[in-house]
Amino acid sequence: MDGKFRFHVYPSAGAPIYRQLMEQVKFQLASGRLAPGDVLPSVRDTAQELEINPMTVSKAYSLLEREGVLARDRGQGMRVVGPVAKGGIKERREELKTLLKDVVVKAHQLDFDTDEVIGLLKPMLIELEKKNSSQEDK
Amino acid sequence: MTEAILELQGVSKSFKNKSVLERIDLSIPRGSVVGLLGKNGAGKTTLLKCALGLLKTNSGTSRIFGEDSWDLSGETKARIGYVPQKIDLYAWMKVRQMISYYAAFYARWNDALTQALLSDWELDAEDRVGKLSEGQVQKLGLILAMGHEPDLLILDEPAASLDPQARRTFLAAVIEIAGNHDRTVILSTHLTSDLERVASDIVLLKSGVISYSGSMDELKESVKSLTLRTERKLPANLVLPGLLKCETHDNHAVLTMKGVTTDRIRSLENDYAATVEVRDLTLEDIFVEVHRV
Repeated sequence: MDGKFRFHVYPSAGAPIYRQLMEQVKFQLASGRLAPGDVLPSVRDTAQELEINPMTVSKAYSLLEREGVLARDRGQGMRVVGPVAKGGIKERREELKTLLKDVVVKAHQLDFDTDEVIGLLKPMLIELEKKNSSQEDK
Repeated sequence: MTEAILELQGVSKSFKNKSVLERIDLSIPRGSVVGLLGKNGAGKTTLLKCALGLLKTNSGTSRIFGEDSWDLSGETKARIGYVPQKIDLYAWMKVRQMISYYAAFYARWNDALTQALLSDWELDAEDRVGKLSEGQVQKLGLILAMGHEPDLLILDEPAASLDPQARRTFLAAVIEIAGNHDRTVILSTHLTSDLERVASDIVLLKSGVISYSGSMDELKESVKSLTLRTERKLPANLVLPGLLKCETHDNHAVLTMKGVTTDRIRSLENDYAATVEVRDLTLEDIFVEVHRV
């Protein structure tokens, strides 16, 4: 991991802060900026740096631990274990569908047709796959 | 269950014939940072004063640390810190004297903390209290209420006259307290931005009645804006449980609803043969919507 891992939160956003934290860990893992073995900053440091309630940070960490993304290291804080896909293929497909639904609605509002949306999506997926496989080579 | 630090049951209060609080039930668990949110005149100050035993309630019971608020023991009072909206201090005293005067009342007093806050907030210990600006008086009031490291800190509009910088320092001090899970903070405000970073729980007070009391995360997760799109013509007035606001236009509708779950979204999709787009709402949006009804 290059440098220290940093969270960014938007306290005024609609999504609760603990969910923003959870999503950032998952997103950074998916994009390769966080890797298994990395240690996340402590609850106290994170809360002080972001000026948020420490309970919010520990809630996010505990939920990620329950999902198998993080593990509690004695004395060291939270360590990244790995991206664990949650649930079976059916649940994961449902989750993806919910996310895609928003994209589809937005795309329609912005006046893009089916081919254009797929044309934009495909290279993004290919790029991510490339990045992940080059991470594994290292 | 976590122990309730503050518990109100059926508390009502009126001044002459004007009812200010109506049958308030409230339980504040230990270790929480509670934001008491309401418009001006909603009854926030009266609620806090009744809870502290500074005002006699017309009916109902109020207890702090298990003791009747109207009849608190000295030991219990020493565990409470309170900053009222209007702070009365001795104008002729210097800041330094004011602090020692307060410190003398308490068995324990954190000098390091008061010194740190004085320097963070650029208060001169040698200034006369009477010459301080409104914002400076508020800072001093906070220092005086936090010096004895109370288990329960009650702040009535604490950030009202603070500049953005001092607000941040103040919130950092609250976060420091929140890190200690035994201490509880209740702060009243009409500004949602004071609460977003620090509050674990929210109490929405509307014209003397509590319209929500619970976790901030749950509030944000359960109140959503939904956009319904369908081929059919929608009825002009949708009747749905938990509906706060509804704008219908022929084949689409924008709803603000509480108690939104994936199951409810699915049944809306089925009932109206519609697609539903869900949007998160900010605390401010929710505050406005809840007060509209």
